[in-house]
Amino acid sequence: SVTEIRSGFTAIKANIQARDPVRTLSILSYPHSLHKVQSSGRCCIAHNLFNFYVDKVFKHCKTEDSYINRKISSIANSFLSMKRKLGQCHEENKCMCGQESTEKFKQILANYEGLNVTSAAIKSLGELDILLDWMEKSR
Amino acid sequence: DALLPAPQNISILSTNMKHFLTWSPVIIQRETVRYSVEFQGEYERDYANESWIPICECSFITATVCNITEDISATVAYKLRVRADVGTRRSEWGTLKGFFNRITTSLTPPVMKVTADGYHLLVELEDMGPAFQFCVLHWKKGQESRMQQKVVKEVDSVVHLDTMEAGTDYCVKAQTYVEVINRSSDFSQTQCVRTQGGRSVWLV
Repeated sequence: SVTEIRSGFTAIKANIQARDPVRTLSILSYPHSLHKVQSSGRCCIAHNLFNFYVDKVFKHCKTEDSYINRKISSIANSFLSMKRKLGQCHEENKCMCGQESTEKFKQILANYEGLNVTSAAIKSLGELDILLDWMEKSR
Repeated sequence: DALLPAPQNISILSTNMKHFLTWSPVIIQRETVRYSVEFQGEYERDYANESWIPICECSFITATVCNITEDISATVAYKLRVRADVGTRRSEWGTLKGFFNRITTSLTPPVMKVTADGYHLLVELEDMGPAFQFCVLHWKKGQESRMQQKVVKEVDSVVHLDTMEAGTDYCVKAQTYVEVINRSSDFSQTQCVRTQGGRSVWLV
């Protein structure tokens, strides 16, 4: 659940954000915040972002710290569980992607690919609260 | 050195979203056997090369039980394994048969205490952790068809259920609900109270 993801992330947020070498860039918020996405495109963005984190981000976030790794595993498995639920909406055509949300997600991928993979993954993980805040506001 | 046998009879005890891995001890005369536990979630299996994650609180322990609650924090299928060490000798991994998903935890009815404070019907519920909500049903004795329901999301104090009429019996029962697995416990035993001029009388 989002609550569990938030609690897992809160436990490692400071540590992960301290590992982020590039403070001048944002992956999720550049150039526009997630909050600018219209309500019709929210499910599409959420579905794509869950896939993005599961497929691309978490696997490149392994650290030397066993506690951090356990918390990342906890978040990743929660994402997997929620990705499955969102996947059902997508299959039932309740999660349509319009031009705006498609463009928005393309921008996020471009931001991600503009950095080396480890920096991009750590930065994306460090920005999880942006995603969680947006999801809770969009409920 | 004979190979150290792997731990056997590995099983999960899971009640009210508290999960414990247990196994039978490996017996080596005049030696202290230590055990280490690792877990693997569905994410690790499907996206991270089937990697395993050690639980440091259960690394090189002598006990034959490990609290895995904090690591089983998603509603997905987990694999668990444990191995033994004696000095430089190390066993193979003993792996839990099948998977464990927290959706199978057993949920027990909540412990509750019903009281009447003057004409106020009150219930005190056991704090079972952040994952738990409570559904409390209350009714006038004999009027089971007019049950009222109150959902309690956080247990931090006594809950006010109703204002009672004098000399009337009021009954209460409760069940837990765990949102992350979308399951409820059975209902608790019904407890009834009656006000008699400001004093509460237990009627079980």
